[in-house]
Amino acid sequence: MDWQPFYVTLKLAVATTGLLIVLAAPLAYFLAYARFPGKSMIEALVNLPLALPPTVIGFYLVVVMGPKGAAGRVWEALTGGSLLFTFLGIVIASTLYSLPFAVQPLKAAFQRIDRRLMESAYILGLSRKATFLRVIIPNSVSGIAAAAILVFLHCMGAFGVLLMVGGSLPGETKVASIAIYEAVEAMKYREAGLMSLCFIPISYAFLLLVNRLNRGA
Amino acid sequence: MVRRSGCGWVLLLVSVLWLIPVSVSAQERLNAAVAANFIQAFTEISQAFERKTGVKVEATFASTGSLYGQIANGAPYDLFLSADEDRPARLNREGAGERPFVYARGRCVLWSARKDFCRARDWRTALQDEDVKRVAIANPETAPYGTAARTALVKTGLWEALKQKWVFAQNIAQAFQYASTSATAAGFCAYSSVMSDEGKKGCFYRLEEAPTIVQSACILKRTPHRASVEAFAAFLSSPEAEAIKAKYGYQ
Amino acid sequence: MSLEIRVRKKLKYFEIDLDFSCPDDHLLVMIGPSGGGKTTLIRMVAGLESPDAGRIAYRGETWFDSERKVDLPPQKRRLGYVFQEYTLFPHLSLYENAAFAAADRAEVGNLFVRFGIDHLRGRKPHQVSGGERQRCALCQALARRPRLLLLDEPFSALDVVTRRCLREAVKGLREGLTCPILYVTHDINEALFLADEMLPIVEGRIDRGWMQRTIAPIPDSEEAPPRATRQPRLALVY
Repeated sequence: MDWQPFYVTLKLAVATTGLLIVLAAPLAYFLAYARFPGKSMIEALVNLPLALPPTVIGFYLVVVMGPKGAAGRVWEALTGGSLLFTFLGIVIASTLYSLPFAVQPLKAAFQRIDRRLMESAYILGLSRKATFLRVIIPNSVSGIAAAAILVFLHCMGAFGVLLMVGGSLPGETKVASIAIYEAVEAMKYREAGLMSLCFIPISYAFLLLVNRLNRGA
Repeated sequence: MVRRSGCGWVLLLVSVLWLIPVSVSAQERLNAAVAANFIQAFTEISQAFERKTGVKVEATFASTGSLYGQIANGAPYDLFLSADEDRPARLNREGAGERPFVYARGRCVLWSARKDFCRARDWRTALQDEDVKRVAIANPETAPYGTAARTALVKTGLWEALKQKWVFAQNIAQAFQYASTSATAAGFCAYSSVMSDEGKKGCFYRLEEAPTIVQSACILKRTPHRASVEAFAAFLSSPEAEAIKAKYGYQ
Repeated sequence: MSLEIRVRKKLKYFEIDLDFSCPDDHLLVMIGPSGGGKTTLIRMVAGLESPDAGRIAYRGETWFDSERKVDLPPQKRRLGYVFQEYTLFPHLSLYENAAFAAADRAEVGNLFVRFGIDHLRGRKPHQVSGGERQRCALCQALARRPRLLLLDEPFSALDVVTRRCLREAVKGLREGLTCPILYVTHDINEALFLADEMLPIVEGRIDRGWMQRTIAPIPDSEEAPPRATRQPRLALVY
């Protein structure tokens, strides 16, 4: 069995999880605490990847990240390379695709923190940013961990988006889910079966962990 | 009170929606599983057939590999039009399909959305150009047009040499999509796609080194509409159908 | 006068309209029925909420002025605030909590000894009792050398005995501090015990008649604000 697609999948999941937790935390902070007009519109936008079929997301990403699209052109001007069919490209795609899976648990974790803790921090002289880093984050650790695991699992299963954006390059963008699909298409059923089997214990173990963390919170 | 009547409306709506698709139609319908590359030709041929016999032929267009998988697992198609010879032969061996017959011969071409791509001496030179960063090819393991393209590339020594340029599409339609949206500079596509409106906007090279793709079909044994299906199978080699096929570059 | 407060704020059922001041060294107790606006007032002084109109100033420094559009954030006011609960950070030990914004970390140790929790310095808030937590919260507030100390029903969630001990501790505190203390409670005994001056707040307004109506009438003139004495006029039964 070819292990390279699994390696790519894991690399992608780790990269996306790391990137997304950093990006989603401030976003979740604003959605949890700030009050401004149009907040519900932003929240709906963040949740959009939940409602759209992955192929739709993939289709638009191909247009935007391609050499004629806005993002693609900027990238080409900056670096001379392309966004599509690269590892970076699929990281971006899976980040967008998993965005709500990070923002929602983080927002819930932040909202669970009593306002008075934050107020206590302000009175003691901490700025909002310092309060976020030194009070909110340390007290949402289990929520952050749950978000990270959900994103990780969701990435491992990403298929439709990556199919459009990745180009199935072995070792770079050919993730395990695509490899299984291609094995089925090529009638290599045994290989497809083995690969599929590997997914189950990994995903199940992580899901149990999420459960444990959520209950502990 | 309001909630209960609201529930009632939802139930009514759902039951109405459920009932609508049950159309009372006496017209006979055939279900065909058709390889993605044959979409335009098939649509015209089936329309011609319907005008002649009143039998409607509905088609599902997908990659040959997925269709084979579905049929092998009992999907209720009447007819399978593959992009290769191998899969109908397998179905025949497995007892699911009747004897296969060739319905079209396709050619693989190198197509680009940019007209200036075709100004080079030949397709090999065009591919080797530095500005050509990515080229789409349908997965050679699963798509017959991809296999044909790879054969041509291996023959000319370019398969390994230009390895970093290949982007693998899942089927020939996706290869064309990558090329037509300029996600890739060019793509190895079916000749039939260059005849489409989208295809005419670009330009292409013929690939002499690529073998003809022999596309064969088979009637599926479990079909309940044997007479109609056999009629359609025969219609596929009628002069009318041949003319349509020629229009789309099939032989 | 150190602390000058003149605020108006519209709440759901009534409007807060208060005008009073508190000298240095005073422990001013705000008392009255719950829901009367006492906590909102304290929060406005702290900068956690903004009045609709008015002025809050401390020793001449304007903290809030609706006319001149001044609204200093809580970070800049250098206060101490003890909530009823959730003052301490759960992820830090008691010592780290108190030292969080301490002007001088060495003082924290002294404060801990003074309040009798030095032996618990390494424990986390959830590992100690409610009374010990509130002692730590006091240390945390005091370690900052605040200009003003705000206590919002700090002991209401505790049992009677603990409350009594802590009350004594606050009284003892009062001796050493130079800053004003604003204390909110609904417990009359506590108020009488601690206050240099009492401010009854009913439905957002000062109602000096409330004391008379609620407890036995005080022979002093009705205009003068009720003052606490060392011998409370009520028979306090413990």
